[in-house]
Amino acid sequence: MIRVENISKEYADLRTGQFVALGGISFHAEPGQIYGLLGPNGAGKTTALRILSTVLKPTGGSASINGSDVVTEAEAVRHQIGFVSNNTAVYDRMTAWEMVEYFGRLYGLDVELLRARMEAIFEQLQMNEIRDVLGGKMSTGMKQKVSIARAIVHDPPVLIFDEATVGLDVLVARALLESVSQLRENGKCILFSTHIMREAERLCDRVAIMHRGRVLAEGSLDELREQHDEPDLEELFFDLITAQECLAVA
Amino acid sequence: MKWSNIRLIFLRELRDQLRDRRTLFTIVVLPMLLYPLLGITIFQVSQFRREHPTQVWLIGSGSLPATPALLDRERFSADFASAASSDLIRLHVDHQIPDEVITLGVRHVAEQAISDGTYDAVVFVPNEFASRLDEFRTWMGADRGGRDLQEADKFMVPQPEIFSNSANDKSAIAFQRVEIILRNWRDAIATANLRSSNIPIAARMPFEFRSTDLAVEASRNAAFWSKMLPFVVLVWALTGAFYPAVDLCAGEKERGTLETLLSSPALRGEIVWGKLLTVTVFSITTSMLNLLSLAFTGALFFRQINGAAGAPSLQMGLPPVSTIGWLLLALLPIAALFSALALGIAAFARSSKEGQYYLMPLLMITLPLMMLSMMPATELDLGTSLIPVTGMMLLLQALVDGDYATAGQFVVPVMGITGLCCWFAIRWAIDQFKNESVLFRESERFGLGVWLRHVVRDRGKYPTFGAGLLCGVLLLTIRFVGSTFATMPESWSDFVAMTLLTLIAFIGLPPLLMAFVLAKDPRATLGLKMPRLSTFPMAFLMAIVIHPVAKAFSDFVCRLYPISGEMTEQLTGMSTLINQAPGLWAIVLVMALTPAIFEELAFRGFILSSLLSRGNKWTAILLSSVFFGAAHGILQQSITAGALGLVIGYIAVQSRSILPAILFHFVYNSLSVSLGILLPNWLEQYPVLALFFTVSDMDFVYDWSIVAGSGVLSVLLFSWFSRGVFSKKHKVMAVEKRPLAGPVTNLTT
Repeated sequence: MIRVENISKEYADLRTGQFVALGGISFHAEPGQIYGLLGPNGAGKTTALRILSTVLKPTGGSASINGSDVVTEAEAVRHQIGFVSNNTAVYDRMTAWEMVEYFGRLYGLDVELLRARMEAIFEQLQMNEIRDVLGGKMSTGMKQKVSIARAIVHDPPVLIFDEATVGLDVLVARALLESVSQLRENGKCILFSTHIMREAERLCDRVAIMHRGRVLAEGSLDELREQHDEPDLEELFFDLITAQECLAVA
Repeated sequence: MKWSNIRLIFLRELRDQLRDRRTLFTIVVLPMLLYPLLGITIFQVSQFRREHPTQVWLIGSGSLPATPALLDRERFSADFASAASSDLIRLHVDHQIPDEVITLGVRHVAEQAISDGTYDAVVFVPNEFASRLDEFRTWMGADRGGRDLQEADKFMVPQPEIFSNSANDKSAIAFQRVEIILRNWRDAIATANLRSSNIPIAARMPFEFRSTDLAVEASRNAAFWSKMLPFVVLVWALTGAFYPAVDLCAGEKERGTLETLLSSPALRGEIVWGKLLTVTVFSITTSMLNLLSLAFTGALFFRQINGAAGAPSLQMGLPPVSTIGWLLLALLPIAALFSALALGIAAFARSSKEGQYYLMPLLMITLPLMMLSMMPATELDLGTSLIPVTGMMLLLQALVDGDYATAGQFVVPVMGITGLCCWFAIRWAIDQFKNESVLFRESERFGLGVWLRHVVRDRGKYPTFGAGLLCGVLLLTIRFVGSTFATMPESWSDFVAMTLLTLIAFIGLPPLLMAFVLAKDPRATLGLKMPRLSTFPMAFLMAIVIHPVAKAFSDFVCRLYPISGEMTEQLTGMSTLINQAPGLWAIVLVMALTPAIFEELAFRGFILSSLLSRGNKWTAILLSSVFFGAAHGILQQSITAGALGLVIGYIAVQSRSILPAILFHFVYNSLSVSLGILLPNWLEQYPVLALFFTVSDMDFVYDWSIVAGSGVLSVLLFSWFSRGVFSKKHKVMAVEKRPLAGPVTNLTT
């Protein structure tokens, strides 16, 4: 479903000359699976997700979603993904209903089908109370619900969540994680980036631990625990990052 | 692109902006308030000027003559001041000159009295004014037969003085009021003097000029409004475009919604078109609302002013009704142009706040173009019609004036150039939205040292696009500064020295140095690689074949924008110097070979190579040609050189080397300088040549048949360069984003 082969991304940088945001990462994710990208801030998670959502072009390597290449078949890719960013990205001057409808129409949904899907999603995510509330007047939790509704309105096979729980209180974050889990039950392939280990432990089927644009470890949680002989994911994560930092200093 | 997506985005953005209070304030509320407030302020000021009483201190009334009497008790006499005027002057009269005036001087006392607000004006009548005036009158009345006019100097009357402060409004008004009264009084004295001398009063003013304004009211109104309204409309179109553009681009970036939109199925082009339509609608709306508010306020203002008792009538009415229609028609393309420019600029900003800073540069470019049309000597002709914005302003002026014949004549070039600019601006805006480094630009602390280290340390095989632009701007700056110090050479040797210095030191040297500092492969950067041998004869042939077309174009440009008298004088002086050359070989060496080498190294070598690093061949050729043209200094020469720059740039890109470009440049320049000199003799020797050339003074014109043939052959040679040799290989270059001489090895294998 998601195939990432050695993608890299470099930027020109005044101080260092070239800044490597991604140094060639690879991973695969399948339908009905939540694939976690774990890493501290600046690890390259957002860059990778932006490339997969066709917003950025990779400097090297290739990636495809459901068989469509993210560079040469960008339009086809966009129809097959739903993207939830870390800042909720909700229009201040549109109501929840208008926003979801707007994106549904951009995805080319038929009016009747769109209405039916929106009714179902608003019911499912318990959003009927905020149907006519402007984005600017919503709480962060409400905004994140709208963001998810917007991402799934066209029923895409792939969903990308970029640190979607940042800034949410415990209750809302838990509700969001439950929604994500529910989407997996529906057979969606989900790419979920986070730097919170408890979320990854609770949710992800496979994970890639990233640091400084590289994948340090990749596999299912059990595989990783076994390989590194460390039952606690947070400790494992910390050990990997520290070892990498020591190497970088040396 | 799907129209349904564009429409969807347009409607969303429109609704979004209509729900934004700041936008609504700028677009709807501000124009509704601005002009009425301005009108009220102006009206209040004029009322104040009419009705506010002024305090005037008259010093030395005892020295005033008894007749005609300036004063009637403590007021100015009704003979010289109207009742209304007298009522507005509170007069304080001192019969004798006070001691403080004698001690400190009248100027000092008056200055003090006005500055502390006690009086608004001070009138000082010097001692002996009346008696000296009386002596003068007696002398005038005496019957002395042949008068000795020099004797009149003995009777010089001391001058009364009005003290006021023009920087103080109240004082300035007081001065105006008092001055009118004193002038009337002085005229009455002059009349009395003439009467007493038995001279007819008509001697003072034997005749008066009568003036008759032949303009009918409608055309007078049109002339006034035709200057003002297009300016107001265009300025507001620009302002109205800018604020929504900033909100729709930088604002979306700030709120994080742009990224979501970019990951939706909407194409970048659809997003830009949707936003562009929204911004254009707001631009037009802002402009029209301002116009309507201005017209409404103007109507009320003129009615109030003209209707006010005692106020001078303003000979001005409302603009013709058709004006609104013309302005609306012109607004469509110009608002689209401004909107696309604003959108492209706003896309660059990281935040709304940063976006606001970019308004000023946009205004600084467009305002002079608008002001140019308002200068008295600027008229709508083919030349001005081809200047963006200015042409549209002049066309509007002609339409509002009712000069439909002129407007009809130039509507096509004006619309054509506006449409072209519009197209370029929209393309640019779309490119901005496709550019990751623009959309996801992050703030970076800038330090000169860090930047210089980065420039040298991280230089690539070829210089960057920015280095190309920098070099172009640097050459133009050097050219400009150099021209301010340059003096007209007085001999051929001076001319040679100046030309060589300019070409070698000012044109050739900077790009050469930059190539060594900013590129790892200076030779490849400067395009100094051997191309296919066949390109040399073709470049040679192209220079000869294209010469008649280029000459005809140059003559057309000179007719379009005639060379000024001063410039003609300079060019004639230059021709005289050239005539002093030891031979044609020297002229060709200095005016053909040297420029061919150094200008090509600069413009097709370093600049074009650098600009090609973005991978867009035509943008690079166009920009390098603009620099090449602008470096020629004289407008007429710049336009022709710019057009030829496109041809030479194309040859350089297609042949991956500047050597054929140097050959072309050399042959072309040689023809230009030598034909003017040789043709007169040739025509005498071979009269048949008169079929192909017409010679006048130092200039010549090709026959139209030669020009037409030249055009056809040039097209054929172009197709040789474009299709015959390098087409597939060029695509390789564009994809790999390799500059000028980069892929030579690959291409020739």
